[in-house]
Amino acid sequence: MKNLMKAVFAASVIGASVAATAHDMVPGEPQQQPILLQGGTLYTITNGIQEDTDLLFAEGKITAIGRDLAAPENAQVIDVTGKHIYPGLIALDTTLGLVEIGAVRATDDQDEVGNITPEVSGHTAYNPDSEVIPTIRYNGITHAQIVPQGNLIMGRSSLLQTDGWTYEDAGEALNVGVHVSWPRTGLNTAWWERRSPEEQRKANAEALAELKQAFIDARAYYDAKQAGELNGTDLRWEAMTGLFDGSSTLFVHANDKRQMEQAIDFSQEHGFELVLMGARDAWRMTEQLAAAEVPVVYGAMYGLPSRHDEAYDQAYATPAALAAAGVNFALSYPGYWDIRNLAFAAGNSVAYGLDHATALEAITLKPAQVMGVADKVGSLEVGKQASLVVSEGDILNHLEQDIQWMFIDGSLVDLNNRHMQLYKKYQQKP
Amino acid sequence: MKASIHLSKVTLALLAALPIVAAASQTTPIRGLQDNSSTFVAIQNATIVTEPGKQLENATLVVRNGKIISVNSNNRAPDGARVIDATGHTIYPGFIDAYSNYGVPKPEQAERRSRNVPPIYNNKREGGNAANDAIHAQQDWFQSFANDSKAATPYIEQGFTAVQSARLDGIFQGQAVTVSLADKIANDVIYRAEAKHFGSFDKGSSKQQYPSSLMGSIALVRQTLADANWYESAYGKDAHNGPVEFNAALAELTGIEQEGMVFRVEDDKTLLRAHDLLSQFQVPVTYVGSNYEYARIDAIKAANSKIILPLNFPSAPAVDGVDDDLDVELADLRHWERAPGNAAALAQAGIDFSFTMNQLEKSGEFWPNVRKAVKHGLSKDVALAALTTVPAEIAGIADKAGKIATGYMADFVIAEGDLFTNGEIKSVWLQGEEVSLKPLTKAVFAGDFDVQIANESARLTLKDGKNVSGELTVGEQSNKLRNASRTDEALQFVVDADFAGVNGAWRMRLNQIADTSYRGTAVAPDGRSLDITATRTNSTEAEQDAADSDAVTYVSQLTFPNVAYGQTALPERVNLHIKNATVWTADEAGVLENTDILVRDGNFYRIGEDLSTPRGYTVIDATGMHVTPGIIDEHSHIAIDRGVNEGSEALTSEVRIGDVVNPDDIHIYRSLAGGTTMAQLLHGSANPVGGQAQVIKLRWGATGDQMKLDAAPPSIKFALGENVKQSNWGTTFTTRYPQTRMGVETVIRDGFTAALEYAERKAAYDKLSRSEKAKTAPPRTDYRLDALLEILNSERFVHAHSYVQSEILMLIRLAEEFGFTLTTFTHILEGYKVATEMAKHGAGGSTFADWWAYKFEVYDAIPQNACLMHEKGVLTSINSDSNDLQRRLNTEAAKAVRYCGVSEHEALQMVTLNPAKQLKVDEYVGSIKEGKHADFVLWNAHPLSAYAQPQQTWINARKYFDRERDAELRVALVEEKQQLIQKVLGSSASDRNGSGGSYKQPQPTWHCDSEHDVWMDAFALDTHNHGGQH
Repeated sequence: MKNLMKAVFAASVIGASVAATAHDMVPGEPQQQPILLQGGTLYTITNGIQEDTDLLFAEGKITAIGRDLAAPENAQVIDVTGKHIYPGLIALDTTLGLVEIGAVRATDDQDEVGNITPEVSGHTAYNPDSEVIPTIRYNGITHAQIVPQGNLIMGRSSLLQTDGWTYEDAGEALNVGVHVSWPRTGLNTAWWERRSPEEQRKANAEALAELKQAFIDARAYYDAKQAGELNGTDLRWEAMTGLFDGSSTLFVHANDKRQMEQAIDFSQEHGFELVLMGARDAWRMTEQLAAAEVPVVYGAMYGLPSRHDEAYDQAYATPAALAAAGVNFALSYPGYWDIRNLAFAAGNSVAYGLDHATALEAITLKPAQVMGVADKVGSLEVGKQASLVVSEGDILNHLEQDIQWMFIDGSLVDLNNRHMQLYKKYQQKP
Repeated sequence: MKASIHLSKVTLALLAALPIVAAASQTTPIRGLQDNSSTFVAIQNATIVTEPGKQLENATLVVRNGKIISVNSNNRAPDGARVIDATGHTIYPGFIDAYSNYGVPKPEQAERRSRNVPPIYNNKREGGNAANDAIHAQQDWFQSFANDSKAATPYIEQGFTAVQSARLDGIFQGQAVTVSLADKIANDVIYRAEAKHFGSFDKGSSKQQYPSSLMGSIALVRQTLADANWYESAYGKDAHNGPVEFNAALAELTGIEQEGMVFRVEDDKTLLRAHDLLSQFQVPVTYVGSNYEYARIDAIKAANSKIILPLNFPSAPAVDGVDDDLDVELADLRHWERAPGNAAALAQAGIDFSFTMNQLEKSGEFWPNVRKAVKHGLSKDVALAALTTVPAEIAGIADKAGKIATGYMADFVIAEGDLFTNGEIKSVWLQGEEVSLKPLTKAVFAGDFDVQIANESARLTLKDGKNVSGELTVGEQSNKLRNASRTDEALQFVVDADFAGVNGAWRMRLNQIADTSYRGTAVAPDGRSLDITATRTNSTEAEQDAADSDAVTYVSQLTFPNVAYGQTALPERVNLHIKNATVWTADEAGVLENTDILVRDGNFYRIGEDLSTPRGYTVIDATGMHVTPGIIDEHSHIAIDRGVNEGSEALTSEVRIGDVVNPDDIHIYRSLAGGTTMAQLLHGSANPVGGQAQVIKLRWGATGDQMKLDAAPPSIKFALGENVKQSNWGTTFTTRYPQTRMGVETVIRDGFTAALEYAERKAAYDKLSRSEKAKTAPPRTDYRLDALLEILNSERFVHAHSYVQSEILMLIRLAEEFGFTLTTFTHILEGYKVATEMAKHGAGGSTFADWWAYKFEVYDAIPQNACLMHEKGVLTSINSDSNDLQRRLNTEAAKAVRYCGVSEHEALQMVTLNPAKQLKVDEYVGSIKEGKHADFVLWNAHPLSAYAQPQQTWINARKYFDRERDAELRVALVEEKQQLIQKVLGSSASDRNGSGGSYKQPQPTWHCDSEHDVWMDAFALDTHNHGGQH
């Protein structure tokens, strides 16, 4: 019976793929019946690697993990012997769904006009029908943080599931935090920079002053609001009130050591919950970052060295350095179509010294913590949402990653995508 | 007649208005009285340096009518000469600057084109000028030369008496004029009317699009010189389409092989490039250097040319702030330390050079910088030669200037002390007339003096500076001098004193009468005048430079290239026995476990199990390791200097990436560290027919030329689609043909058609009889069409940037119509849609592994592209087009395993053997096979896995990357950088501040469509945002 079920289930998945070549991928239905994944290797994140173990989920939640679990009545049973089961990957720092074709302006909703735009929210422009989204699911990503781009205060980000009819349907956590692109601190020595060092320093200082003024104004607004002394609503400062009442995170995008130092001082002064995004120079200040307990979302696992004289593998080796120093960090792959390389990039960190389990945690549980949803996703634990992927082999390795099944909140996700469709279509061309 | 009377009135008025002495001119009418002042002068008792290394003591220099009439060692002046006593002084030949913009119009400031202004493709045609606005070869600058005393002054103050001058603007700048700096009319000061041609690669004030890159400028020079040769034999005859045009620029260039050029370059690399180019046309060249020559001194020595050196040493990078080192590169610190030693390095290598004031921020920095060069090890004789005999030769006046000799122009410098340590220029003589800067004799009023006044003794202590100060001590009583002031001869002051029983304010004056003896007058408070005699007992004049004169020592390394991670020497070729590796042959042998490789004389010699180690072989125990062939990248834009696109015109097949290979690029090293050993450097994709490509091996440390793989047959970049029709260039780029894919087809078709007709004309000309040839212009060599013709003759191979299926098919059919085979479609993201057609044609495909969605034409790109092409028989490779991806093509290849299940062996071939085939070098490289070049990588894990790390990368059995050595270099460079920072922090202001010199500009990350005018420093579009464009 079990084997029969597996065959039926597999056939239905494949059937869905073939049928889907003619049209868009349909969002998964809410989980109708319990599903038992039998005999897999579970990368639980919170409880090590469990080989030859079953995982049962129902009504969207993981209900049991263990050996030889009994299949409930009407359960779908999937034999995953030899396969690897991971929590769904969480891609931080992306513009998924905000842009379809980089060079076509009409498809680009990443960057609102103005330097201070905290009022914009990434999810409001998220296109759940973007052709890009199914392609990144194919690589195991179940959630993505949608971040507005821009200068200084860029807007607010939300964490969305990568399958859904609307952004509401896909919403995991909306308006999680305010994103700041920290003003440049160092000198740009690139050839296109025509300003003198003095002019650059002046411009840097002006940008920092503009940023700080915005926070002064936002704070003043918050205080006046608390006291009932506002003249009217200001959407900009309204969007930042969460920073002052502690309900919202401050995400600072900063790569240079001096930027990060300023951002840490700044947020300590204001008492913000700070997360550093990008953080290329984090290796230069690991002790400081560990001591300040600032979460870091490192985004350059494949990066070129930031400076000419840095070691060729500096960006590759930085996650290992952060881990060794006890820095609390996640890994990201900023971008949109290219975020499908997230797992491989984490694998590259392993090639340059990071522990495999830490690398996995950095693209599952750590991002969930950063986004404040670690109680729901990010690990394989009973009670958490059944957002997980099944891969033929090691998800971090190109040679083994092969996602067979993806579930988000227990719903089976269609892994078909534009690329598979075109591939299958042109396989038929004579 | 009326007109000429009118003119002479104007001339008269001008002459009256201008303070120009026209006495020596023979044709200028005398108005008013004649000036027949005597010009007969003898300067006696001087040390005369007649030329570098030769000097006469106590000699007499006799000048008359602007020339030197004798140099007498007997110290006797001829009767009738005005005698000047130059005791204690040295006379040097007047200095000559062979690179100047004196007395001719200054260039207009080149403007950066705003994005809102449409591009300019054509220039104004006037006076038979060239078709490019950067070519001013028809200009003979003597024609607009006029003396300019204001501009001459800063030169004269530094001891210069003559300059070679032209307007420093553009590529061919015209022919310079060598002139005296004397304040006389042009007729009198022109020493050589037609001196050297001046040039550079910088298009200067030209607003024309072409050339927009260094390689474009090089191509323009090449074509122009070829045109000049053609014009010499063609002018006056008939070409196929009519009489040969008049072309003033080409006419002037016909003599350039005799007249020679002065050519300005930005750095050592461009000097070598210019030399390769100009020597092909037998143009003798003097380079205006950069002070980077020391970094490639052997190669520059081989260029066998003189160099004109500016003395604009760079300011030290800012390192005062606690984090400033984050913004500072080791290479710049090194150059700051060594730039002042460049002259000494050239001298050491036996390269002749001269100094120029050009590019100095302030003229007053000239001598301090010459002295700096001397402190860095330059001999004084060579330094003097750099100011006299060498520039005289360059400027074409060695027969009349640059030495002190009978018959030479009376151009010389009188100085006190050694100019090359701390001497001072007192006067400069131009054509026998003195410009006095300081008096020859100036009394010394500094030191301690024994003073006698009215038979009483006193002591006087004086300090001389901006003001004279001091005190007078009589007995126990000391009083400060008041109101002290001096002239060249006398010192006067007021002092309270008690002499001869008269107490009060004394007024005193002193004159120097001999070396240490003085005489003067003291006026007592009662009005009496008394004599003073004084003897100077010591001098407080500082010998301050004594401490500075220690030889300079360097803390920096000098490596190849001279940047962080550079090589101290090129690696040795080694015979190797690699033991017990997993060998990925990327060839028919497949993957071999527990296998040995012998490498002999640079090649793979034997591959097998348990081989024995021949004597003298180095053994590498590769147990647990993997060996693959070196990775080959079909599509790379690293190691390219100053522009990847000559994107100005639709067809630019004449430009050559090979002209601009940049051996300093750190990405060469980084790519080696990723296992890449060979790359095809491609022109960008801004035009349908781009430039010629260059295949290099990543021989980090070698020169650009040494990196080239000569065995690789010529290739060229074509491009189709959005980039070439300028779809994403903004709204002003809408006028160049083509703007549609239809036009792309026709413009390429037109190019090939023109090339065929060109070939026919050449063939027809060759068949003409001698007498017919005498009447017929030979066909003009056209490098653009030559390259297209090579394609049609299957001597040059096309790598075509392409995305969508219609354009791929179009180019295939066009090639078939013209009878050649396209070698590789590169990018080719829709190759999977026409793979059958490609395979049938015989074209390869080189694709990104997984790029898509960055522009509309890649919306149908899929990561299964490589597999589909491969399955349908297309020779398939995976390329980088990126300095980042070029470091990890192994995992890019692994994506073909991930997305569509190609075998690992075949995936590896997509970055080794297959690109080698596409570059037509698979006979030599691309797989581990006996007889092929020993280009290989040692990996610590499965080479396609996410966890593989290259440990060593070898090219031709030379180890160019070693992770262990890299670890040592990291430590060493941190230490070296700290030492240099300490040196900067501890150095004097003058050493830190420099004189306006610059460092090499970092080259950007070039992308296919980086459409950047390197001369105007303007971008067509913003390409440095995330992800870039391809």
